[in-house]
Amino acid sequence: MNNREMISSGNQLAAIAAVDAGCRYFGGYPLTPSSEIMHTISDLLPEVGGVSMQMEDEIASICSVIGASMSGKRAMTATSGPGLSLKAENLGLAQMAEVPLVCIDVMRGGPSTGLPTRVAQGDVSQAKHPSHGDYKSITICAGNLAECYTEVVRAFNLADRFMQPVFVLLDETLGHMHGKAMIPTQEQTQSEIKLRKQFEGDPKEYFPYGVAQDEPAILNTMFKGYRYHFTGLHHDKHGFPTEEINTCKLLIERLFNKVEKHEDELESYEEYMLEDAQILIIAYGSVSLAVKEAIRHLRKENIKVGLFRPITLWPSPADKIKEYTQKIDKVLCIELNMGQYFHEIQRVSSRLDIEGLFKVNGRPISPDEIIEKVKGL
Amino acid sequence: MSLLKAPKNTPVWIDPTKCKACDICVSACPAGVLSMRQESTSTLGAIIDIVALESCIGCGECEIHCPDFAIHVADKKSDGVTFAKLTPEAEQRAKLIKDNNCRLPLNYGK
Amino acid sequence: MAFDYEKYLRLEKMPTLWCWGCGDGVILKAVVRAIEQMGWNQDDVCVISGIGCSGRFSSYVDFNTIHTTHGRTVAYATGVKMANPDKHVICVAGDGDALAIGGNHTIHGCRRNIDINMIVINNFIYGLTNSQTSPTTPQGMWTVSQKAGNIDPTFDACKLAIAAGSSFVGREAVTNPKKLEKLLVKGFSHKGFSFMEVLSNCHINLGRKNKMLTARENLDWIDSITMGKMKFDKLTESEQTNYLPTGVLKEDSEAREYCEMYKEIQAVHQGKRATITQNDFEKKI
Repeated sequence: MNNREMISSGNQLAAIAAVDAGCRYFGGYPLTPSSEIMHTISDLLPEVGGVSMQMEDEIASICSVIGASMSGKRAMTATSGPGLSLKAENLGLAQMAEVPLVCIDVMRGGPSTGLPTRVAQGDVSQAKHPSHGDYKSITICAGNLAECYTEVVRAFNLADRFMQPVFVLLDETLGHMHGKAMIPTQEQTQSEIKLRKQFEGDPKEYFPYGVAQDEPAILNTMFKGYRYHFTGLHHDKHGFPTEEINTCKLLIERLFNKVEKHEDELESYEEYMLEDAQILIIAYGSVSLAVKEAIRHLRKENIKVGLFRPITLWPSPADKIKEYTQKIDKVLCIELNMGQYFHEIQRVSSRLDIEGLFKVNGRPISPDEIIEKVKGL
Repeated sequence: MSLLKAPKNTPVWIDPTKCKACDICVSACPAGVLSMRQESTSTLGAIIDIVALESCIGCGECEIHCPDFAIHVADKKSDGVTFAKLTPEAEQRAKLIKDNNCRLPLNYGK
Repeated sequence: MAFDYEKYLRLEKMPTLWCWGCGDGVILKAVVRAIEQMGWNQDDVCVISGIGCSGRFSSYVDFNTIHTTHGRTVAYATGVKMANPDKHVICVAGDGDALAIGGNHTIHGCRRNIDINMIVINNFIYGLTNSQTSPTTPQGMWTVSQKAGNIDPTFDACKLAIAAGSSFVGREAVTNPKKLEKLLVKGFSHKGFSFMEVLSNCHINLGRKNKMLTARENLDWIDSITMGKMKFDKLTESEQTNYLPTGVLKEDSEAREYCEMYKEIQAVHQGKRATITQNDFEKKI
């Protein structure tokens, strides 16, 4: 039951959520529109004995977060599109070495410097695959103020469960939106913390990466008597580099399997007025707020529209999307990018007749624009 | 048996599984104790050899210069080993070895 | 007892993959000997290496070890150290890793004066990737990316570290492992950023194409370009351009260390002291 009432902004809620969820290290760099996360957390963390660092650049931020997480602490960074691009190489190391961390991306207009103070959802593809090589991304998108808190908390638990980076996408609208949110209490959040697994036996029998083919690595907190090796190279069960043919194949397969075989634990979505819908809208993030408003208006005119809102974007809720796109004839995908999730909908539904409403000029999409588009379908 | 463990009453000893024949210990030894010898199965076709164990003065230069943990020197205080003093003969032999590409001349002592 | 290296090494990984006579092995030995002198518990030590031949350092030692991306050792180390301020963190990076791609992080590690021990193994070339020019490759030498001869000027990494604010800066070479071990012990004992440049021989990549085929020739060359600090200081400026001074080049035990200063920030936020102001510091700019 979420019965703590808080009046705050999306960015601030994200910072509060992190500290409540046990984050004790933050490494960041100023980048509009995510900087307020760093500003807030730089006051909250030292209060609880944690550390918040403004590093010299985006790359140093993610590296220090990975280092802190390798040593056993829950760690987080916050950035926007350009910063995510810079962090790509080291995010790849975190995937490869199976280091849990939370990376918040408050999306802004892109590409490049783009529109620093304006909204977009242009990092959806990037969050799916920021770095080179093969791995599975876990990406969550908050769709309202309360989710700026709850989804960050969930991200920390997922990161420790799956032992890899988890991306939480906000956007400039949500990050800077100031209003009332009903969120869990601090005690509730703390009681639901699920820390990463630890091995408790004889150090001589500890193989951090020697786990079942559908399980993540078990990486013990540093400095506690279990000494092992982290590397970005392909590695064996000890963590030491190897090029052995079979080991390398199994490692990559395990990086996929550990997520793919447990997608039920990751799936999260919202179904809004879909029971009798004849028009299906698929949207996420702050766009979903405008969509819900548009749906309320359209319903008054007896136009049966519904919203399917994925909260975990990657891996996508393929079964549900397929179910709805098979049931409902008219499908409209609305995003503040040129169709980055639209392509996933097409792929999963096997339908090439999905409609798209894309807005990329840095402005939020209004319910009126949505109503007009729906009526024109 | 790990050759990193000290054998008794020995001033200097080697671990042939680790030697890469870099010649550095031979060039660092002031007493002509060491030489490279031909060994067709080893890196660069050579391996370290102790040719004058009794001349070892225990300076430890070979050990600290070796990149591969292939050569070890007993501890002066605790291993109960008596090291030699540096003699002119030993110094001369060292020079002969160094000038001969770190290999003891085949006709030495004959 | 002769020195027991076994305790500190991951023997199952030996022999090392380094070339015959490579200085990396000498430095590995010196670091292990220095840690023994420090009396540190193996569980309390974290060794972080970068990419390159020196990057393989961390897999041979039995501590908590991390093999990071190219140039980022200090950044990873900052995270480990800030999250665990009472543990011992050692970075090992090559000249390309620490001074080219990682230059920025090196500068800021020095600037923060965070209690990390940084060992920069300078072999004047990019070794692992086969002979490309590094920021310290002497001009005129042959490198694979500048076969007509290297025109890139070099810079003095220790001078950079001093200017950036590192409170302990020293340089030694693998030609004198005893002095190297002494420098490492001093650096490890120092509370603050310890920047230690270690000149090393790469006869396979730098030497072979620059008329120094053997390890011995490369070591002799390093001998010819280094000079103890006391003697170096007596040279004229133009004489000094051909030597690198060795020894402790800077040692400031009064400089405030970053983790200690961060404890003050925690104290402010926990209501235990007043906000930090300019008056808390001697330097006002």
